[in-house]
Amino acid sequence: MHLLAQDLVNGILAGGILAVVALGFSLVWGIMNIINLAHGAFIMLGAYITYELFTVVHIDPFLSLPISFGLMFGLGYLIQRYLINWVARAPILTTFLLTFGLSLLVVNIALIVWTSDTRGVTTSYSGANFTLGTVTVPWAKLFTLIAALAITGVMQLWLVRSKTGRAIRATAMDVGAAQLSGVRVAHIFAIVFGLGAGLAGVAGTLISLSYALNPSMGDPFLIKAFVVCVLGGLGSVQGALIGGLAYGIIEAFATQLDVTIGTQHISGSGLQDAIALIVLLIVLMVRPRGIMGRATA
Amino acid sequence: MTIAATAAALRRAGLGGITGSPLAFAVVLVAMALLLAVPFAHNGYLNNVFRNILMYAAMAYGWNLIGGYTGYVSFGNVTFFGIGAYSAAVLSAHGIDNLAAGVALGAIASAAFAVVIGIPVLRLKGHYFGIATLGIALAVADIVANLDALGGTSGLAVHQVDDAHFTVYYYAMWLVALAAILGTYVIARSKLGYAFVAIRENEDAAAVLGIWATRYKVTAWAIGAMMAGAAGAIFAPANGFIDPSITFATDANVFPIAMTILGGIGTVAGPFIGAVILAGANELLQRYFVKAHTLFFGAMIVVIVLILPRGLVWLFGLRGGLRTWAKSLTTYKA
Amino acid sequence: MSEAALHIEGVGVRFGGLWALSDVSFAVERGAVLGLIGPNGSGKTTLMNVISGVYKPVTGEVRYGGRRIADVPTHQVCHLGIARTFQIVKPFASLNARENVAVGAMYGREGSKRSTRAAFERADELLEIVDLARVAYRRASDLTIPDRKRLEVAKALALDPEVLLLDEVMAGLNATEVEEALDLLRRVNQRGITLIVVEHLMKAIVSISTCIVVLAEGRKIAEGAPADVLASPEVIEAYLGSRWAKRQQQLEAIEAERRAVQQVRPPAPS
Repeated sequence: MHLLAQDLVNGILAGGILAVVALGFSLVWGIMNIINLAHGAFIMLGAYITYELFTVVHIDPFLSLPISFGLMFGLGYLIQRYLINWVARAPILTTFLLTFGLSLLVVNIALIVWTSDTRGVTTSYSGANFTLGTVTVPWAKLFTLIAALAITGVMQLWLVRSKTGRAIRATAMDVGAAQLSGVRVAHIFAIVFGLGAGLAGVAGTLISLSYALNPSMGDPFLIKAFVVCVLGGLGSVQGALIGGLAYGIIEAFATQLDVTIGTQHISGSGLQDAIALIVLLIVLMVRPRGIMGRATA
Repeated sequence: MTIAATAAALRRAGLGGITGSPLAFAVVLVAMALLLAVPFAHNGYLNNVFRNILMYAAMAYGWNLIGGYTGYVSFGNVTFFGIGAYSAAVLSAHGIDNLAAGVALGAIASAAFAVVIGIPVLRLKGHYFGIATLGIALAVADIVANLDALGGTSGLAVHQVDDAHFTVYYYAMWLVALAAILGTYVIARSKLGYAFVAIRENEDAAAVLGIWATRYKVTAWAIGAMMAGAAGAIFAPANGFIDPSITFATDANVFPIAMTILGGIGTVAGPFIGAVILAGANELLQRYFVKAHTLFFGAMIVVIVLILPRGLVWLFGLRGGLRTWAKSLTTYKA
Repeated sequence: MSEAALHIEGVGVRFGGLWALSDVSFAVERGAVLGLIGPNGSGKTTLMNVISGVYKPVTGEVRYGGRRIADVPTHQVCHLGIARTFQIVKPFASLNARENVAVGAMYGREGSKRSTRAAFERADELLEIVDLARVAYRRASDLTIPDRKRLEVAKALALDPEVLLLDEVMAGLNATEVEEALDLLRRVNQRGITLIVVEHLMKAIVSISTCIVVLAEGRKIAEGAPADVLASPEVIEAYLGSRWAKRQQQLEAIEAERRAVQQVRPPAPS
């Protein structure tokens, strides 16, 4: 029984990160209808930014959050404004492939700069845990969850209250009407994409505390971002949060799978992508709009 | 004869249409004929290079059917290549080293998988389909890597013929590529091809005109799967060894897509032209920039998408040539 | 009187809490031209969608040739013999006009009997009928609006339909083009194809319809010969508005007076 509780807690802790991972992805997809296949690469960059800040300047990862956000936001803004914007209204294949190519570019540049050696961010509190009954909670992961919740909260507030946030929501609803109301759409799109990249960077920072770093670390998160968005419902902060937590829990339980059929050993932890795919297909077949999604086409 | 009159005459002969530029197609056929001569140079390296080009061409044609003609952009077609490769490897592990048997099983197994997974997954549109197929590729790679019967992450050795007979792999791949080219041509001239294109252009309108989209989408994917599966089934023995990281590699997934786009998406000549150019470039790059060749490919895709969204073959058909192309660069700007 | 081909019985369609159609019933005779009119939002296109199998009705049914349309999957509706055009035209943009029509000829009711070549020959015939032969090789995306509408009709005809639903085919056409369109529709009808025409242009509908059904707020409020329907008070009220009604009354009064005057004073000998 205690194992289940541990899995649940692990799931929730992981879910927080997944929510942040998915949030940036969801915004770009929901508002601009662009699936950013470079999202995983942006996460990776955020992680490496934190790594460099930590190893070179000894800045604690949590303190590097604003920096990784800022840098990645800038990068995302530029990429959208001066690259993706050229094909903003193209059929989806075009933006799909463009971001795919970008992803290859970024990952391979990272491979050249940092090589494929695995690295880690090890802080003074990295291994520290506390126990709640039968459950062990690593401090780093708890802080991560808190940070994730704080970030999603701030994003939601900003989107609802701020002038730019309202402009973004207006553009999401109706580009033409937004333009007529004076919204500079190209600028807004760039901001949204920048936000997506910034949030990916933040996710990368949080991830660096619990996971090993290497240039292709972003790929699994890309698929999970997609599944979380579909599961939770596209285009809302709550959707990303609920979806993230839900998927975190599902994955925590599913990776416990450990059976042996004949001589074949099946372990859930090696089948993470398969798990993601199965969840994705089930949701798309049963309730395509996700948990929090609105029932629009 | 004026250009317009020639074009009109070609149209009436049934060329053009959704097959793309007849001139480009003729070039492809000539190139294929020339490729028959490569083994006569008795250069093992050249054999490998051109065999790879033919392999990628076959895979590109496979992608072109579902992604180019039917408009369902798949990011998981590498799965079929892998299934083909593993089919041949499994046969070899059981003592069956017949190349034709391997190709047959590879093609059938891939097509069967496409049908089974396609019926649910092809209900998804656009982005959802794309990522679902990416998920499928990753999931299948995961599963294969975990299956001891398939060698897990260590892979499987595949029986290889001796050097004296090695050219059989070259000619087999050539045949598969030829089948892919001619198959695409026949389909593009037939009712089937028009069903694919109708689905791509407007699936709802196609349904109103009597086209049962599911059946045709699955057919497109299955035929394309066969092409990739056959290519994989020849790759396995030619390489002598396969493992999940080789057969489900990103390269094998991305190259066919990039090649089709560069060459001309939704045409008969495009995938071949793209394969020659990109696989050739890749060879050169691998010799000089061992680490950076995927980087190059990423850059190439970005550039292609921005300046040649419909590929080289379409460029030939554009009236007004360079001027029209230059104008077309801003059509999709927000 | 010809037999009824298409039976619409008690059809109701609901979107959320709103009934877009409630209890609509009428029959369409074979070979007729049924005009379907009504104010904006009265449910005309919804009804078209139900008849063509795009929507399934919540209540009631539509039967054609003894079969319920709702039971038939979308891609088989044309095999029953029903074809339609769309208000927002849906051409296959990168194909030329000829290919667009050929697709219908390949997969429509008679499609399985046709080879690719035969389908293209049929497409050429149909392009002649709708006067698109001059742009047969032009990409659909490069066609003018009237030509795109002609293409819609040609594609629908390629399905060898017995019943053709035309949804606002004349929207956006000028007076000459409207006349040409009406002429085309008459020729189509003369070939024995039953037409159901949704239009806003009063004159067009009146000039071509053998029977008119009027919808308002999702209900049928009138049905019958054009003259009768247009004179019906409910229709005038709901659709034509009280100003038009008053004007009609004034015109009729003037006309009646003129006739009265002529009876007293006969016309001067020519």
